[in-house]
Amino acid sequence: MNAGDFSTILPLLLVTGWACVLLLVDLFIPRGRKAITAALSALGLLTAIALLLSQFGLEREAFKGMIVVDGFASFLQMVFLLSGLFGIALAYDYVRRQNIERGEYYTLLLFTVAGMMLMAQAGDLIVVFLALEMLSLPLYVLTGIARPRPDSEEAAMKYFLLGAFASGFVIYGVALIYGATASTRLSEIVAVVQAGQAIGGLLLAGMAFILVGLGFKVAAVPFHMWTPDVYQGAPTSVTAFMSVGAKAAGFAALLRVFLVAFPDVAPAWAVVAMWVSAFTMAWGNVAAIAQTNIKRMLAYSSIAHAGYILMALPAAADPAVASDAVGAVLFYLLAYAFTNFGAWAVVLALEKKDGQGLAIEDYAGLGARRPALALAMALFMLSLTGVPPTVGFVAKFYLFRTVLQADLVWLALVGVVTSLISAYYYMRVVVVMYMRQGEPEVRSEGWLNATVLLAGLATFIFGLLPAPLMGLAARAGLLTFLR
Amino acid sequence: MTLVQILFLLFGLVTLLASLMVVTSPKLVHAAFWLILALAGVAALFILLEATFLAVVQVVVYIGAIAILIIFAVMLTRRVMHDTGPQVNRSWWVALLVSLVLFGGLVLMLAQVPALAGTPAPLMVDQETLLEDLGRALVDADRYVLPFELASVLLMASMIGAIFVARPPSGSEERSGER
Amino acid sequence: MIPLSWYLILAAAIFCIGVYGVLARRNAVAILMSIELMLNAVNINLVAFWRYMSPGVISGQAFAVMVFAVAASEAAVGLALIISIYRRRFTVAAEEIDMLKW
Repeated sequence: MNAGDFSTILPLLLVTGWACVLLLVDLFIPRGRKAITAALSALGLLTAIALLLSQFGLEREAFKGMIVVDGFASFLQMVFLLSGLFGIALAYDYVRRQNIERGEYYTLLLFTVAGMMLMAQAGDLIVVFLALEMLSLPLYVLTGIARPRPDSEEAAMKYFLLGAFASGFVIYGVALIYGATASTRLSEIVAVVQAGQAIGGLLLAGMAFILVGLGFKVAAVPFHMWTPDVYQGAPTSVTAFMSVGAKAAGFAALLRVFLVAFPDVAPAWAVVAMWVSAFTMAWGNVAAIAQTNIKRMLAYSSIAHAGYILMALPAAADPAVASDAVGAVLFYLLAYAFTNFGAWAVVLALEKKDGQGLAIEDYAGLGARRPALALAMALFMLSLTGVPPTVGFVAKFYLFRTVLQADLVWLALVGVVTSLISAYYYMRVVVVMYMRQGEPEVRSEGWLNATVLLAGLATFIFGLLPAPLMGLAARAGLLTFLR
Repeated sequence: MTLVQILFLLFGLVTLLASLMVVTSPKLVHAAFWLILALAGVAALFILLEATFLAVVQVVVYIGAIAILIIFAVMLTRRVMHDTGPQVNRSWWVALLVSLVLFGGLVLMLAQVPALAGTPAPLMVDQETLLEDLGRALVDADRYVLPFELASVLLMASMIGAIFVARPPSGSEERSGER
Repeated sequence: MIPLSWYLILAAAIFCIGVYGVLARRNAVAILMSIELMLNAVNINLVAFWRYMSPGVISGQAFAVMVFAVAASEAAVGLALIISIYRRRFTVAAEEIDMLKW
């Protein structure tokens, strides 16, 4: 080991250390002035971003391959850090308004971000598992942070029980793979499998268990049951962060583990991933139609999007398409992050103190009352549907193209058809906003507006000029998965 | 049948039955005590596998800390834990089906792997060397220091979370004091 | 001596009992206990693999130590959540939990 090893986890160390320091500093910040804690935590994330940028392009293994730094890791870490910043911006006024302002909110958020960052650069199944726990445990607590509100507590409980259950599956799968290959290092596993020394049965079973466990984490059908209740019960600022960050982290693990460690057994998992993806897209979109609560609707929408992203996994099973597919996922995750944070920010602006203002009907008249906000929301809905000129369209186009390249025409067709179905419920929000009369009570808070503005601009601009970002994502995918 | 095999069957059966009682016992306190027996059975299996240190850790951490914590939780929440009435939900048969299918699949898979029928070579080193190796591995920068430190961070993060959750919500101290 | 598959089948049985418990029990504490059973099955697997496959490398045992740490942190957070809900409303909301029917 040498100092170079530490430089690879420097951003991660910074976020973790900052969280610990912040915990102590927070003790001296009087109640009611927790805005300082928020600012400090944002400062920590910004420093980490600067650090990450300064070593962008770095590519090496550290700690004997337990930690991998490459384009994939750096890109995703950037997504996670940005999600953390958005999460803080959304929480800033919301927690005060909801009377749930606690310093620990930001500490726990930083720990979660640290877990996600670790997930992006994990090169060993033990580290993947620890990262999974490190990002999940603080999230369970964050979900329940609105206590004593019963729905928040219940959501935390459900999220915890199902999350721990899913972790059990992941770790059982990891243990089986350790038995099959006598190693947990991804690079060693692939070598053992290629040499034909792995025990096939154990390997396949282990993969299945990991797929199930991570399927729970990214909310893929049929492991999605927890999502609507947890998303609805959690404080909205936490839901927004969770729907972007936790999902992206789950996909980071899925891609890294399956593409790096098991490319040689690709036919086995590709078929399963294909069907799971198709069912997730179909069920998520169909179930979303019936929702009248915007949080539940967006929860089902996030299930549906998990299905879209999952399409890339069977596509990536084709070695010729693998790096393209990874690039498409990275771009999709970033596009989804911008769009989704924007949409949730609008939801936050309309939510009232007692949890009212969350029905889709409550958006009636928004177009007349707050034209800019309504325009932004319309843009986010278009982007979630995948209509140009938004970033969501570009992301979907790019993703569907790689799926077609892998000759999975029917899967791409399912994607297109379900996207058409999704237009129905996304457009309903737009119709309600502009066509119905109403007097919505809308908040205007600095950071909330800034988030909407930033997310809206990103959704629009990257929709028109996706090339630079897409090049970055494609290069990140290329660097890692084209060996 | 050798003595070791008989011991394995004995401990295995005890662990299995205790685990079954954990998930079927109608009284929660009983379930918690069955859990302790199951954990002790696992510790005995660790000894059979010559992982004596882990057996000790199993007793100290699992039985000594986690199981006791669970018993505390059961006692603290006793008033609302219905000891009467069904302890399983309506769709318990689906759960039974899922776990039976899972078990069937796993056994089928395990039975088909010839490599698993073998018996182990005797351990070349004594327990002390083994323990020393484990200790060194956990702090060796080229081996497991990173996961080890991550586990400590994880424990701290969860401790912060647990303390935060267990503390009465701010602003309601007065009210909870009245109770 | 004992074949490796005996240990693995025993672990599989305990794991599946745990899965049944998580899916079928109504009480949050009971579900947590079932999750602990699942993690124990994992540890039996890990230690058995270590002993039979690679006794010269300590990694299996080191791995099991990590699982202990995770089990402890999960228990801490989970029980804190359960007790907090109980204290607030004198009812364990999770009592009505039906993992298959959300």
